Amino acid sequence: MSRYLRPGSIDEAVGLLSTDAALRIVAGGTDVYPSLGEAAARAAFLDIVRIPGLRGITRENEAWRIGAATTWSDVVRAPLPAFFDGLKLAGREVGAIQIQNAGTLAGNVVNASPAADGTVALMALDARVEIAGSDGRRVMPLGDFVTGVRSVALKPGEIVTALLVPDRPAKSRSSFLKLGARRYLVISIAMVSAVVDLDDAGMIAEAGIAVGACSPVARRLPALEARLVGVPPAQAADVVLASDADVLSPIDDVRARAGYRRDAAITLVRRTLAACAEAAR
Amino acid sequence: MTPATTFVGSPVSRVDGPAKVTGAAVYAADFDIPHLAHASIVQARVPAGRIAAIDTRAAEAAPGVLAVMTHETTRRLPWHPRDPRPGVDPKAGERLHVLQDDVVRYDGQPVALVVAQSEEQARAAADLVRVDYAPTAARTRFDVAYARAPSEATAKAGRPGDTSRGDPEGAFAQAPVRVDVPFVQPREQHAAIEPHATIAAWDEDGRLTLWDKSQWVDNVRTEIAHVFGLAEDRIRVISPFVGGAFGSGLRTWPHVTLAALAAERVGRPVRLALTRRQLFTNTGFRPHTESRVRLGAFPDGRLTAILHEATGQTSTYEEYAETTLTPARQLYACPNVATRYRLLDMNVNTPSPMRGPGAATGELFLETAMDELAHALGMNPLELRRANLAKTDPDSGKPWSSNALAACWDQAAARFGWADRPRTDEARRAGRERIGSGMASAFYPAHRAKARARVTLYANGGAMIQAATSDMGPGTYTALSQVAADALGLPLEQVRVEIGDSALPPAPAHGGSITMATLGNAVANACAALRETLGADGEGDLTPALRRSGRDSAAAEGASSPGKEAQEYESAAFGAVFAEVRVDPELGTVRVARLVGGYDVGRVVNPKLARSQCIGGMVQGIGMALSEEAVFDRHCGRVMNANLSDYLVPVCADVGALEAFFVESDDRVFNPLGVKGLAEIALCGVAAAIVNAVYDATGLRMREVPVTPERIVTAQAARGR
Ligand SMILES: Cc1cc2nc3c(=O)[nH]c(=O)nc-3n(C[C@H](O)[C@H](O)[C@H](O)COP(=O)(O)OP(=O)(O)OC[C@H]3O[C@@H](n4cnc5c(N)ncnc54)[C@H](O)[C@@H]3O)c2cc1C
Repeated sequence: MSRYLRPGSIDEAVGLLSTDAALRIVAGGTDVYPSLGEAAARAAFLDIVRIPGLRGITRENEAWRIGAATTWSDVVRAPLPAFFDGLKLAGREVGAIQIQNAGTLAGNVVNASPAADGTVALMALDARVEIAGSDGRRVMPLGDFVTGVRSVALKPGEIVTALLVPDRPAKSRSSFLKLGARRYLVISIAMVSAVVDLDDAGMIAEAGIAVGACSPVARRLPALEARLVGVPPAQAADVVLASDADVLSPIDDVRARAGYRRDAAITLVRRTLAACAEAAR
Repeated sequence: MTPATTFVGSPVSRVDGPAKVTGAAVYAADFDIPHLAHASIVQARVPAGRIAAIDTRAAEAAPGVLAVMTHETTRRLPWHPRDPRPGVDPKAGERLHVLQDDVVRYDGQPVALVVAQSEEQARAAADLVRVDYAPTAARTRFDVAYARAPSEATAKAGRPGDTSRGDPEGAFAQAPVRVDVPFVQPREQHAAIEPHATIAAWDEDGRLTLWDKSQWVDNVRTEIAHVFGLAEDRIRVISPFVGGAFGSGLRTWPHVTLAALAAERVGRPVRLALTRRQLFTNTGFRPHTESRVRLGAFPDGRLTAILHEATGQTSTYEEYAETTLTPARQLYACPNVATRYRLLDMNVNTPSPMRGPGAATGELFLETAMDELAHALGMNPLELRRANLAKTDPDSGKPWSSNALAACWDQAAARFGWADRPRTDEARRAGRERIGSGMASAFYPAHRAKARARVTLYANGGAMIQAATSDMGPGTYTALSQVAADALGLPLEQVRVEIGDSALPPAPAHGGSITMATLGNAVANACAALRETLGADGEGDLTPALRRSGRDSAAAEGASSPGKEAQEYESAAFGAVFAEVRVDPELGTVRVARLVGGYDVGRVVNPKLARSQCIGGMVQGIGMALSEEAVFDRHCGRVMNANLSDYLVPVCADVGALEAFFVESDDRVFNPLGVKGLAEIALCGVAAAIVNAVYDATGLRMREVPVTPERIVTAQAARGR
């Protein structure tokens, strides 16, 4: 029957994982448990949320460290610089309060759903993933970590210990917009997160834009990001072209068709940029 | 002492509210029965075929498993026919004889049952049962080319294939103004929050007790008696609380039989709780229905022809049919009316009544077509309705026992501000959004049935009301308490109501909006009978009379049944619904900013609960208009969104300001209490008003619900071409 282990340290967790391949890591369990369906009773779990030091947000050198056991509610409530607003908005849209109280950012990323709201906001922020295994720790960019639908670059026996978000200039603003077939508690048809850093003249110095649910893995829009440099934020939305969606590869599914997704994504990109401009005023 | 207030008509809070919010209310699956075992269903994964082989060895060897039942290992049950069939059952075809043969009739049909010590063990083992199928051709595509007329039995039950009065085709051909409107309403699910569950327990003497989620305990008893070939008095059905049902608890579904079979097999009480996914295929649903409405009118708006055709889906084994076309025959005055109803047999489980069955669907079709007609006439949609008020029932010619539809139109329009709605493109613009206003009429026939109720009065001033009815949420506990408190001259808190038990005096289905008009009068009659027994007259507290008689308690029964008014009059609840929507044309999202509904439901027993019933119906109507659809994949014959994350019932954030009110009404012709019934009417008209408002906002005629963002954008693109 079901086994449930609760290690007290990362080393212990890694040790247990390396000796038992059947163990599934569980944090909030809000993805793991529903995905198991009727087979839940036969699974074996490794619960990491009690490991000391794994929960919370700290600033370390040039980056913000979000521990792997940090929940969406933790992020929404934390006093963080304005460029985290997009991530907070995403957090408010992950399920509903009960889900946000249990669900973690790391779980959202590792679960690797194309519709993961958090991954999109983190990707716009150039987040990196910190991983621990029996060979020690390594760090890799989020865009490389998520490799496909439900697939990530974790080797057997490894766990994610934190998400690292590089610090940004004080004049940096971000936003997030999600579209679903109902207003809340819904799996996204498309979602967009944008961050813009402003220079001293108030022009866009750097932009990060990510689109989710329109490709197997959330995508950045590099061509658009390049065109936005030097543009006043209030005009950012006008710089967006329909062809910016060409890097996306949406599919038809029960929620929406590909063509609609592509068009909606572009509309959301424009609106997200407009929201950043609004926040920068 | 006589209580100062009369309870009927006053907005008292739910008497069962505290029990519900504290968790003290016990629902079917909550009963704590000693030695309980648990069952889990294995569902078919093909829409049609035969079971070639079932391998149960791994499941049998799994921890905690007590039994694995298949059609090969389950005893044959008699399944006696019901004669007459209960009103909630299809009139033709035969019930699903679960685990009796190797035939698969739809994807999701139970093909095996695992019984284990715990629910988790049962589910885990059910996952290990291997079934091989020999699939056969299945009808999984809704294609009207294969539709057929309903059987004679169905036609006799108010769902005729073809009806005609006057010269509909001729009148339509000659009508100065005409519209011809196709429309699609998809399969919808009841999606109540409490899943269906049954606990079955046999005693040493072979008596069966069922704790079940049901809107009709008496019928569960009768049905299971027929299925098992038992005398009815060997069975008791208990269902004190129902966590929403909307009609899914009217019939007795196969899982009740399965629970009883499993309990018999393992010699222990067994609980069978359906999962959310299983609810889609082991209870019913509102059938996918496609329609065509043709309306012809004179330039002043008077209707000269109504031609309404509809085709609904049913299963291959039972003929479920709806009264979809009743509104076309009864809602508006029109001399020339034809209706044509067809059924399409598909490899699905049998549909069943869902709130406003037939009416909600038929009025969606009719009232969106009326809106198209209003625009074709260049007429205010409200004026078009007014021009066609049916002063008597246009179908039978009988008078209405009461009809305040005109007051509903007038008062709801005034409260909504219909006369001042934005009417220019300029006024309809609000930032990037477009504002739209729409309206629709609502209509739901009122009926009564036979029922009994018992009242017992105690010398300490307490009273007990008993009847085998149910309260799936509308407030039956409270409303019956109010009637009894008035009739006995007692404070409300001294009246207790006991329902949901087949051992109590018989009651009809808690459905079709008949409960208050039926049971309310039975309770009033029981109280009057008690008053007479005790030789007390008039009003006031009855306990002094009881004490004078020297007894500790006294009881009386009262009955209620339809009288000759049912032959002489037509009765119905009426309403008018007005909607304001905000459409974001770029994304296609529709937000319902406001709904105003005015209703004629007869006497309102409890304004607070009545409002709550109506705003609940409005929320469900928002779902019907904008998001609810059980997506059926015709390639695999399966519902693709059998869960609440993709079958989208509205959340609070989808709901704008809701206003529901009741026009002056008191129908003592229909029944002595003056109530007409308030449940289904609350859903009727809502979706049509919203769809009509979307047209007003965008100029897009959406002829398929739900009106999803993608459908709006697609329609815009089609218009642009
Ligand atoms: C009702 C409901 C609504 C939801 N709505 C949304 C929504 O709107 N948007 C959205 O994006 N998501 C939604 N989700 C999904 C889910 O809540 C989020 O993805 C959440 O962030 C997952 O976090 P968790 O801690 O619960 O992950 P878990 O379920 O515990 O784990 C998810 C996956 O990550 C792995 N994992 C977790 N932590 C680690 C770690 N430290 N190292 C390695 N592997 C790890 C697990 O093994 C598993 O594969 C919803 C879920 C539910 C049940």
